[in-house]
Amino acid sequence: MSVMNNSTELDEAAPELLLDQHVKFIQALDTKKNDLEYWLTEHLRVNGLYWGTTALHLLGHPDALDQEQVVEYLVKCQHDNGGFGGHIDHDPHLLSTLSAVQVLITYDRLDAINVDKVVDYVVSLQNEDGSFSGDCWGETDTRFIFCAINCLSLLKRLEDSRLNLQNTIDYVVRCRNFDGGFGSAPGGESHAAQVYVCVGTLTILGALQHVDADQLGWWLSERQLKNGGLNGRPEKLEDVCYSWWVLSSLSMLKRSHWIDATKLTKFILEAQDTETGGIADRPGNMPDVFHTVFGIAGLSLMGYPGLVAVDPIYCMPRHVIQRIGLAEKH
Amino acid sequence: MASRHGQKKVKEEAPELVKAREERESAILKDYLGLKEILKEVIDSQKRDNDALKVTTALLRKSPDYYTVWNVRRTILKEGFLDSADDDTANQIYTNELDFVQENLKLNPKSYWMWNHRRWCLEHMSQPRWDRELGMVNKFLEIDSRNFHGWDYRRYIIRQLDLVDKEASDKVLDRAQAEFDFTTNKIHKNFSNYSAWHNRSTLLGKLAEAMTEEEKESIVDNEFDLVKNAIYTDPEDQSAWLYDLWLIGREQKSISVLGASVISFHPLEIVVAFDQTVKLRNAFTVSTRLEHVAVPLEGEWKATGSDASLGSVWIFQQAPGAVYGPTVEVLIFTEDVCAVRAGSTLQSAVCFELETLNQDLNEISGQLTRLVVGKNLMFDVTKRIGPVAGPDGTIETQPSSSKHLVTSLTSSESLEGRVELLQREIASVRELIEIEPDCKWPIQILSTLLSELRETVSIHSMQAKDIDDECIELQEKLISIDPLRQERYEDRRTQLVFDRETLSIIKDSKRFPEIEFAPEQPRELDLAMRGLTHIPTSSYFIHLHSLNLDSNAIKSTRFLRNLLNVRRVNLSNNLIERLEGVQHAPSLEFLNLENNMIAKWEDVVAGFVFWREGKLARTGCSVKVLLGLNPVIENEGGENVLEQRWEDVGEVGIEIQWKSNELLLAEQEELEQQLQGAKDDGGEQGSFKMDGNRRVSTTVVEIATGH
Repeated sequence: MSVMNNSTELDEAAPELLLDQHVKFIQALDTKKNDLEYWLTEHLRVNGLYWGTTALHLLGHPDALDQEQVVEYLVKCQHDNGGFGGHIDHDPHLLSTLSAVQVLITYDRLDAINVDKVVDYVVSLQNEDGSFSGDCWGETDTRFIFCAINCLSLLKRLEDSRLNLQNTIDYVVRCRNFDGGFGSAPGGESHAAQVYVCVGTLTILGALQHVDADQLGWWLSERQLKNGGLNGRPEKLEDVCYSWWVLSSLSMLKRSHWIDATKLTKFILEAQDTETGGIADRPGNMPDVFHTVFGIAGLSLMGYPGLVAVDPIYCMPRHVIQRIGLAEKH
Repeated sequence: MASRHGQKKVKEEAPELVKAREERESAILKDYLGLKEILKEVIDSQKRDNDALKVTTALLRKSPDYYTVWNVRRTILKEGFLDSADDDTANQIYTNELDFVQENLKLNPKSYWMWNHRRWCLEHMSQPRWDRELGMVNKFLEIDSRNFHGWDYRRYIIRQLDLVDKEASDKVLDRAQAEFDFTTNKIHKNFSNYSAWHNRSTLLGKLAEAMTEEEKESIVDNEFDLVKNAIYTDPEDQSAWLYDLWLIGREQKSISVLGASVISFHPLEIVVAFDQTVKLRNAFTVSTRLEHVAVPLEGEWKATGSDASLGSVWIFQQAPGAVYGPTVEVLIFTEDVCAVRAGSTLQSAVCFELETLNQDLNEISGQLTRLVVGKNLMFDVTKRIGPVAGPDGTIETQPSSSKHLVTSLTSSESLEGRVELLQREIASVRELIEIEPDCKWPIQILSTLLSELRETVSIHSMQAKDIDDECIELQEKLISIDPLRQERYEDRRTQLVFDRETLSIIKDSKRFPEIEFAPEQPRELDLAMRGLTHIPTSSYFIHLHSLNLDSNAIKSTRFLRNLLNVRRVNLSNNLIERLEGVQHAPSLEFLNLENNMIAKWEDVVAGFVFWREGKLARTGCSVKVLLGLNPVIENEGGENVLEQRWEDVGEVGIEIQWKSNELLLAEQEELEQQLQGAKDDGGEQGSFKMDGNRRVSTTVVEIATGH
């Protein structure tokens, strides 16, 4: 897909991608120990590592963080039951377990952990109706289904006989709404991020026939607002992270050209922080690593020059997904 | 999920202010880190007392998303207090927890962990006050009427209340009605409340279950009125429009089997064409009569192209050594296929009886995988028969006429109800378009309604033609008023133009609204300059020998895989970035790809992977591909370099012409001029600038079709 499509008017030029500044921004994240913010987001540290390392890989700086140090840290976050916590001494959860696995696969360092135990942990969280709980406390959400299925797919363990994947497909289909989108649970309102996790799950499980691509593609393309940014639900504000949720979903449905890529590119680039590097949720706001990675992943998916290609399902570098042999599957 | 949604970046403060802030933060930080230390002691020592609980309280006030602390808190509560408490004490403890959560939710209404803790308390209480929860969530939705945590929680409470009343269906129904009224209320306050419209859609179905057909129709009329109110208030607001679309509903599309044919006898190969991409659930049954006994014929079904599990054209090849008699039967049961487009189904089983006595198929030279390619599919179909017995021996009932969806709630036995509703809604949307000619939503809805109406009439009727023409115009209008989504409208227009231009290829089937191949098939088709972005149904082209697609906006050549008979394809002046599917077109002799967007050597050879395996050399096919005026030429060092490079690949039978015909012609002229001794030529003719930002004109050129 070309970034240059769809240009209907000659807007003022979009700003440049501040590649080096973003690298520095991510490298500096772990040096802010005097900031309260650093400690208040401690439970997101493992997720943060996934966001940071993925952004760095897509920016073409895979070695910008000390790989050994990252792997060593992640190993300390794994619990006896196989799950990973959001930080050392934090309880295991599917959200952080997926992130840890993603980072280790990106670095090709699965050898550092006990993979069988990770699989045991993830499989143990499947419920009878096919959904997955986020942890042993039982909260369910389609996000956790994607975490589990994504993780098992990356580990090549979807064939595990303890799983019931048909139930999972049926459950996701029950989350489909009147507008063709998907929510967090049956009856839950359609939301672009929940659409991403449900479409992602169905793509990985080869069950995309349950999605009406024209109807959902229509709904997703209507997420784009006049300023080029995308929102997550009708009549809401735009946000850089939806660049990923919406665009990757459209890409899985083979309809990523249904929005204006030139305008979205410009919107993401305008949300860059020119002083510190990093990308914010929208222009003029504080940058963070979450919006940085999803902004960059969005740009990569639109073929922005100089970025490493991202995989639309797994949100990891395309070459990593090719290396582990999943690129041809979908 | 992340930390800084919506946090404004503040201007650099004065140094003394920065210092004061840092000191303030540093004190808070010290306090926080102290608490964390104590938490670690609590965890390590497994303390389950009041002091331990207080630590979690203090930490959660500061960091409500520190989920591990919520877990620790629940463990303390359970093991330290609840396990040994009587009912009243336990209830008091849970009530305190609910108060604690409520107080924090006001500050962080989007924290998943807090809502979660609340559910845990209620689910463990002996007598949870679900009704009170409803009051609480009402307040939240008053503050933020779109908070999806609030709405999710509301639905959760209703589910719990329904569980309590599971023996009293009237109570459950009353509750659904009350919830429905709640959404009415919210929608009247703000027509843009999409969350309320959504919830309404989930409730309406429930309420309708207990209604008579008349009641349903009356409630549906009310819904249309509500929608009308909303769209006349703000026609640009998508909430009500999306609800409107759902109310109107969409007729379930049926899968059509266009035809089947034998394409090779040794080994036996059979092709089956569908009108859309399907996946095989079970292999279609192939059987043959040997001495009056039907026996199964072993073999394998594969879709054309590199992904053999998905496609609109399927080829059966018999297992080596299998014997077949004078007729072969192909049976396709409804359960055998599933559509890639959600909601489409094969309505009834289809059976083809194919003759294999007269083995007089035209042999063509140079196929890659097939020995012979058959005649028109329809000529080979002796019979389409039905109903047929399923694998278990039962006869599948063939529906006399399928039910027609009137709305998502009601369906009628006849077409009239559906047509009446569509016509009424079409008239109503037209009125709005009169008032708001540049608003995209009514135009989109009108186009959808018209397309639905087209499903109810014969494809060759005047009405179908008028609908197609109007819909194409509507897409043009949409492209001009909503350029952000231009390519979506172009894809839709492509489908409409394609349907209009391929009418001679298909006809209505006896099993309306299904379609099948017309008895006479064109050998050539000219679709130049139609503004096509893709080929929606390439199985239609299975009989073509020659196809002209010059000057469209086509991006992919993958459709070539289904063109089993095609010799010549002109795709010059399109937007193709990569050669794909070329190796699967078995009869291809000439492919013009001049002036496309192929930019890399890899994207050229990608089309010839098959041939790189050396198969071409064995069959001796010869294909000529024109690649002039593609960016690859400039990018990879010019025509001569590429010519040499292709020669080095050493493929026999594939001739690639890197120079454009125009350039060759110019060179020839120049040579002739030189021969004549006239040397006044500047030699600038051969230079063509490639522009990466090219877009083919989207104007559709109307060409009178005289068939």
